[in-house]
Amino acid sequence: MQRTYDILMQVLGYVLVVIFSLMVVDVLWQVLSRYALGAPSSFTEEFARFALIWVALLGAAYLNGLREHLTMDFLTRKLSPEKLERRQKNIEWWMFGFALVVMVVGGGNLVLTTLTLGQASPAIGVPLWVVYSVIPVSGALVCFFSVYHAMRETDSGLPNERLDLTVTPNHQTTIQPNNQTSSIQPNNLSS
Amino acid sequence: MSIELLSILVLFFSFFALLAYGVPVAYAIGISTTATMLLNIVTLPAITTVAQRMTTGIDSFALLAIPFFILAGELMNRAGIAGRLIDLAKSLVGSLPGGLAYVNVLAAMLFGAISGSAVAAASAIGSVMTDRMEAEGYPRTFSAAVNITSSTTGLLIPPSNVLIVYALASGGTASVAALFIAGYVPGILVGLALMALAAVMAKKRGFPPGDRISFSELFRNFGRAFLSLLMLVIIVGGIVAGVFTATEAAAVAIAYAGGLGFAYGTIKVGDLPSVLLASARTTAVVMFLIATSIAMSWLFSFESIPALMTGFLLDTVSNPIAIFILINVTLLVVGTFMDMTPAVLIFTPIFLPVVVALGMDPVHFGIVMVLNLCIGLCTPPVGTILFVGAGVAQVSVADVIRPLIPFVLVMVGVLLLVTFFPQISLWLPALFGV
Repeated sequence: MQRTYDILMQVLGYVLVVIFSLMVVDVLWQVLSRYALGAPSSFTEEFARFALIWVALLGAAYLNGLREHLTMDFLTRKLSPEKLERRQKNIEWWMFGFALVVMVVGGGNLVLTTLTLGQASPAIGVPLWVVYSVIPVSGALVCFFSVYHAMRETDSGLPNERLDLTVTPNHQTTIQPNNQTSSIQPNNLSS
Repeated sequence: MSIELLSILVLFFSFFALLAYGVPVAYAIGISTTATMLLNIVTLPAITTVAQRMTTGIDSFALLAIPFFILAGELMNRAGIAGRLIDLAKSLVGSLPGGLAYVNVLAAMLFGAISGSAVAAASAIGSVMTDRMEAEGYPRTFSAAVNITSSTTGLLIPPSNVLIVYALASGGTASVAALFIAGYVPGILVGLALMALAAVMAKKRGFPPGDRISFSELFRNFGRAFLSLLMLVIIVGGIVAGVFTATEAAAVAIAYAGGLGFAYGTIKVGDLPSVLLASARTTAVVMFLIATSIAMSWLFSFESIPALMTGFLLDTVSNPIAIFILINVTLLVVGTFMDMTPAVLIFTPIFLPVVVALGMDPVHFGIVMVLNLCIGLCTPPVGTILFVGAGVAQVSVADVIRPLIPFVLVMVGVLLLVTFFPQISLWLPALFGV
C-alpha cells in the first residue's frame, strides 16, 4: 500500500505540472495568435477549460494524499492527540463516502450518459465522456488515499512530517499539516 | 413541515456540524449538499446532478484567471520583488514620524496588489519589516498588527482573485473589469486609514522618524521597483481597455513575472516544476472549494432560498439601513470562522438579490462584501492572515490581539463608509465607463 501511495503521488505530481504548463502555454498562444498573427484560434479556450477541470479534480485528490485540504480546525485543536487521531480517521471515511457516492458513482453515471449520447465538444471535437472521466478517476484516487490514511499506523505519522510553519523570506509562507493537526492553508490565494 | 424548510434545516445543520467536526470545508459543503439533494430527488439522479454541477461549475474560462494569478504571484515572490517594494516605500514615506509603520502599510499594499495574495504580502513584507521596526523601538506585536491589517488591502486593490470569484457568484451582474476598478479607492482608503491610526499611535508612543532619503536615492529605488509596478499597469490597463480578458491578462502576467525572475537571476528553469506544483496545489484548494460551493448554490436556487430570504428580510425589516447593517454584521460573523472563497460563493446568491431589490449596485456590494470578509481574515478563531502575520513576526497570536483591536476597528469604520457611500466604490468605474 505504501508503495502504491508513493507511486500514485509521484505520478499525480507530474501530471499536474504537465497539465498546468499546457494550460499556461495554451492561453499565451491564444493571446499571441489573436494579436501577433491576427488569426484567433478556436480550440484554445475549450482546451484551457477542460484542463482546468482536470487540474482542479486531480489536484483535489493530490491534496487528499497530502491531507492538505482547507479545514476549520479551531474546535478540533483542543482535542487530545489520541482523540484527534481517531477523529481524523473518521473524517477520512466521510471523505471516502463522498468520493465513492458522488464522484465515482455519480460521476461514473455522468460519463456513461455522455458516452451513450455520444456528445463531443464543439471546438476540439473530443468526446465529453473523456473530459468527464476525470471525475470517477479522481474519486477513486480520493477513496484510495482515504483508506491509506485511515488504515495507517498511528505512530508512523504523515508522509510530510518535516513540515511545520515554514517561513522563507520572498517565498510564500506555507503552514503545512503538522503531525496530526491539519492546519489552515494560507496558500489559498483568495485570502 | 414543508420539504423546503426541512431541506434548509438539513443543509445548514449538516454543513455546520461537519465543519465543526473538522471535515475539510470543500467536503463539508459537498456532503451536506448531497444529503439535501437525496431528500428531494431520487438517488442516482441526485448524485449525478451533484457531480455534474461540480464539474460544469468550474468549466469556465473566466475562472482560469485564478490559477494563473496564483502562479504569477508565486513567480513574483520567487523573483524577489518584496525587497524592492520595501525600499521604494521607505524612500517615499520612511522619513515621517512613525515612518516604518507607514513603510509597512505601503509595502504591503503594493505587494498585495502585485501578488494578489494577502498571505504572501503578510509573510513577505512582515518577515523583513518586523526586525527593522524592532531595531527602531517598535514592539513586535505592534508591527504584526500593522502588517496583518494592511496585508488585506491587496484583496481589494486589483488584480484580486476574490473579486473574480465574486463576479462569478454574482451571475455576471458585476463584471471583473468594473470590480477591479471599483476596488482601488476602498483599498487605498483602508491603507490610508491604517496609516492615520499608526501616525496617532506613533506620536503618542514617540516612535522615531526614519532617515531622510535623498532625491537621487528615491529615484534609484523607484527604478528598481519600476518593472514590478509596470506589471500592474499592463494587467489592469489591459483588462480595462479591453485588450484582453482577465484570464489572458493573468497568462501575460505569468510570462512577465517569469521573465522578470529570469532577468533578476532569482528564478532558474530548474525551479519551474516545483513552482508549478505549488501553484497547482493552491489552485486545487481553491477550485475544489469552488466546485462544491457551486453545487451548493445551485441547490439554493433549486430550493428558492434566495427568494425566500429576500421576501423574509424585506417583509420583516422595513428600513434599508437596518438591512445593510444586518447583512454586514452577518458577514462579519461569517468571516470570523469561514474562509473567504466559500463565504463569497455561498452568501452572494443569498444576499445579492436582497440588496439589489433595495437599489444597491452589484459592484458596490461586491466591494462591501470583500472588505467585510477581509476583517474576518484578521480575527480569531479562523483568521488566516492573523496566523501567518503572527507567525512571521514570531509572536503569539494571543499577544497580537490587543494591539490589533484598534486597527480592526479602523477597518470596520472604513467598511461603514464604503457601505453607506456608494460613490467611494462607484465613481472610478463610472469615470472609466466600465
